Amino acid sequence: MNIYIQGTGCVSAQETSKGGAFPEDILPWEGPRLKASEPDYKQWIDVKLIRRMSRVIKMGVAAAQLGLQEAGVQKPDAIITGTAYGCLDDTGVFLSKMINQQEEMLTPTAFIQSTHNTVAGQIALMLGCHGYNNTFVHKGFSFESALLDAVMILREGQSSTILAGAMDELTNHSFNILSRFDLYKKEPVTPDTLLNSHTHGTVAGEGATCFVLGTEKGANTKVKLAGVTTLYKPGGKAEISADIAAFLAAHQCSEEEVSLVITGRNGDASGDEWYEYVETQLLPGKPVACFKHLCGEYPTAAAFGMWMGAKIIAAQQAPAAALFKGHLPGEVRKILIYNHYKQTHHSLILLTAC
Amino acid sequence: MENLMAALKAQIVEQLNLQEVKPEDIGDDQPLFKDGLGLDSIDALEIIVLLQQQYGIKIANPEQGPEIFHSVRTIAAFITAHQNK
Repeated sequence: MNIYIQGTGCVSAQETSKGGAFPEDILPWEGPRLKASEPDYKQWIDVKLIRRMSRVIKMGVAAAQLGLQEAGVQKPDAIITGTAYGCLDDTGVFLSKMINQQEEMLTPTAFIQSTHNTVAGQIALMLGCHGYNNTFVHKGFSFESALLDAVMILREGQSSTILAGAMDELTNHSFNILSRFDLYKKEPVTPDTLLNSHTHGTVAGEGATCFVLGTEKGANTKVKLAGVTTLYKPGGKAEISADIAAFLAAHQCSEEEVSLVITGRNGDASGDEWYEYVETQLLPGKPVACFKHLCGEYPTAAAFGMWMGAKIIAAQQAPAAALFKGHLPGEVRKILIYNHYKQTHHSLILLTAC
Repeated sequence: MENLMAALKAQIVEQLNLQEVKPEDIGDDQPLFKDGLGLDSIDALEIIVLLQQQYGIKIANPEQGPEIFHSVRTIAAFITAHQNK
């Protein structure tokens, strides 16, 4: 059974929320934190609802609406999201009030909106979608788990159209805490220097990306989701390389057929060694594109990578800023996306043109 | 009473994050729920907490809710009556 990407929506550090093709101009940034470029949410959300929504909810709802608009779908059969951090901002508000007010007289809104499945629930409420609604909170596999669930449900024939996506926000508190874990660059970096910085750490990011997946090819559908898999703590670079070869073979794709490899390079020297190994040992000479200098690093950033891959196949061109090695071939048929989060959560996604 | 109603309007706007509403836009007798200001049950809970936090007043009988929360004037009257007790 073919699974088609009927529509995509993305709110990220780039101007992706306008819909359509990948933006030609890359938004510049400096320093170790990339903030999402947020659209005017009133075009999708009633002002009476906006007032209760934190940024991640608004970003998620906007990405969902963009995807549904592109797919021409009013109401999907199911909504599946992945998020590692959930609604961090409201969690912070609720916990702060709990401490400051000594657990007395707590207001309901922040509590209601602080759970991880708030975004999927809010999308369902707005669409009046009473179908399957699930949220996966699996750290660096949150997005991939949502995708796998969607694929399995579609293959079982329980649904024909599913909205699947991922979203994570960065707050001042979470950025400070994650900075203490020594995750981010100490030296100044820019989009042009990050991927070749060869030093420790990366840049923080956030965003929301949604896909409308279905078993039917729409009039404007150009991309198929051919495969997705996750690999937790592989034994080494040779093992991941063998796993990628096996993944491609399982999806009837030879290494020669891969038009472009998209990797999750983020400028962290030790983490990027994994990508370098695969690029040179398994897929030498293949053009490589990257995305984390455009969206930052976060546990569900692979969703942005998949969004970018889908856009490249649809447009048959890649933004110059995304290409890391080589040149895009005349025809882009198959894209392999290899990402890992902190070297423990590795995932593979295969997109093909249709 | 006028000062109390003005303060209440500002507190309601802030507590409920009514982004498109200014305190002076709320009429003294304008219904707060449904067709009036359009507040809902979650907002009612927020206002109950507001009364407890700002004025030290608890609503003992929930059945009085619709009557008390009808408008800014009815809330102000309820506060005045209970603060004088």
